Order: sequence, then C-alpha cells, then structure tokens
Amino acid sequence: MQKLCTFAALLLLATGPLTAQRFFTRDAHVYFNATSSLEKIEATTKSGTCVLDTKTGKMEWKVLVKGFQMEKALMQEHFNENYMESSKFPSAQFKGAITNLSEVNFTQDGKYSAQVKGLLTMHGVTKDVNLSGTVKVNKGSISLFSSFIVLPGDYDISIPSLVREKIAKEIKVSVEALLQPMK
Amino acid sequence: MRKALLALLIIGIVGLSIGYYQWNKPKENMETSKAEATVDAAQLLTEYSANEEAANAKYLGKTIAVKGQVKESSKEDGTVKVMLETGQDFGVYCTLDSLAQHVRTNFPFGETIVLKGKCDGLNLDVQLSRCVETKQ
Repeated sequence: MQKLCTFAALLLLATGPLTAQRFFTRDAHVYFNATSSLEKIEATTKSGTCVLDTKTGKMEWKVLVKGFQMEKALMQEHFNENYMESSKFPSAQFKGAITNLSEVNFTQDGKYSAQVKGLLTMHGVTKDVNLSGTVKVNKGSISLFSSFIVLPGDYDISIPSLVREKIAKEIKVSVEALLQPMK
Repeated sequence: MRKALLALLIIGIVGLSIGYYQWNKPKENMETSKAEATVDAAQLLTEYSANEEAANAKYLGKTIAVKGQVKESSKEDGTVKVMLETGQDFGVYCTLDSLAQHVRTNFPFGETIVLKGKCDGLNLDVQLSRCVETKQ
C-alpha cells in the first residue's frame, strides 16, 4: 500500500503542471476606494499573495498593509497610523473556499462565476464573509477577480467625526490575481 | 481690539498655511532617505522566519538597505520588481519606487546589488516597497 502511495505521488510529481492543483502568485493586485464627495481616497498594492487549490477550491490571500500606496503622503500616514494601525496589525488576509466548485472547470478555458465563503481578517478583527467573483481559466493559468464592500466599523476601525464626511461609509475593494501552477 | 483681531487673522493664516502644507506635503524622497539598517537578504528572511514579531519591531516601516543576488526581475505595467536570493524557498521581494529616477531597471540574474526601500513585513517573502538601488 505504501509503495503504491509513493508510486502515485511520484507519478503526480512527474506529470507536473498538467495535474497541478495548487496555483500561486505573489503579484496579486488589491485596490480600494473610499472616495467621498469631498475627497478622493484610493490605494493600491500589487504585492498580494494568493494560493488556490483547484481540487478543494480553498484559497488564501494576504496583503501587507504598509504596501498600499496612496497619492498623498499625509493620507497614507493617517491610513497606516490612525485607521489600520499597520505597525500593530501588519497584514490583512482572506481564507476561504469556493462553494460552487462543481460549476468551475479549472481544466477548460473559460470564464466562470464563483461564490466564495470565508474569513476576512484586518485590523486584528476576523469576520465571516460571502463574496462573489469570477474565475478565468486560460491556457494553464487561472485568474481570479472580485469586488466587494467593506464597512470600517465591522473591523473596529473608528473614523473621528471631524473627518467622517470625507471618507466613504462603504469602502469598495477590488482584488485581482493571475495564478500560475505552483512549482 | 484691532491689534487682537490682526493677531487672530495672522494666526489663522499661519494655521491654514501649515495645514495646507501638511496636506500636500510631498512623499518621502527615497533617493535621499537614510537607511536605518543594512542587512543581507538571507539574514533578513532568516530573522523574519525565526521571529516575525521581533523582526517587525526592528524593520517594519523603516528604510532599510538589503544586499543580495538577483534571482528574478520583472516589469508589469511599469512596475519593476526584483527578487533577491536567500538560498531558501522564499526571498526578499522588492518593488522599485515609482516616484524615483532609476539609473537602470534591468537587473541581470546573479548580480549582487543593494536595494534601499521601506520594509512592509513578511508575506511569504519579506517585502520591500519604494526601492531604489544604492552603492554597495
């Protein structure tokens, strides 16, 4: 039995990308927009990590908060120091799984709608979230896209009344990852 | 009375000017930013792998200079990234500063370079943003 397992494992390794089930990137884009009628507030990082297991549909995303770049120096300072407290909570992450896995064919090129359920952690607070997104399969690589809304209050991020009107109540977040088979 | 009003007006103008300057203050110039620490890529990752919290206390948010061999470099939508070799599974992943003038943005495999940037923390690799190349 053990020999059989070893043989199976070797076979899996030997066939390489064709049967790869883990896909990965360290260049995922995460963008958020908290623009209000008074202020343009946007930030992007292009250094998120994302791992997807196509067999189980499980995925993990992680970004470093200090990696978000904003146009204004002061805004970026406030974002890090007052709101996200990035020295105390350096990263934000999502761990979850695709719930409609049977409707996504990772072996056939195409575009599929995906429902994802999981836990989003930021500012030291973890919440259950249900997200919808798109999976694009193209010649052995997989792209993931999603847009969703985050409410600062859900993650214990308090915004002083003095600036409350300047920051959108609902923060729009977009994520995008082009994954390659894991070596 | 008139003097008091004048004084208030001056204070008001100064206050507004400071506020306006603060709001529009330029981002830190990475070319002149002084590195608070200089460390080898392998050493940096080892410190992070051993104790992320301690390494964050030492490096997070600071300008640091990291020396290492180029393992990989890429350009995507004008964003240049360089992976520094650590001899381990993960590396030190550096994004070049989009605001700085770079002498070069091509980094040949295997060349030993020093990049100075902001340490953003550990995300499998140690990540640095706003990097500029500096002399060894």
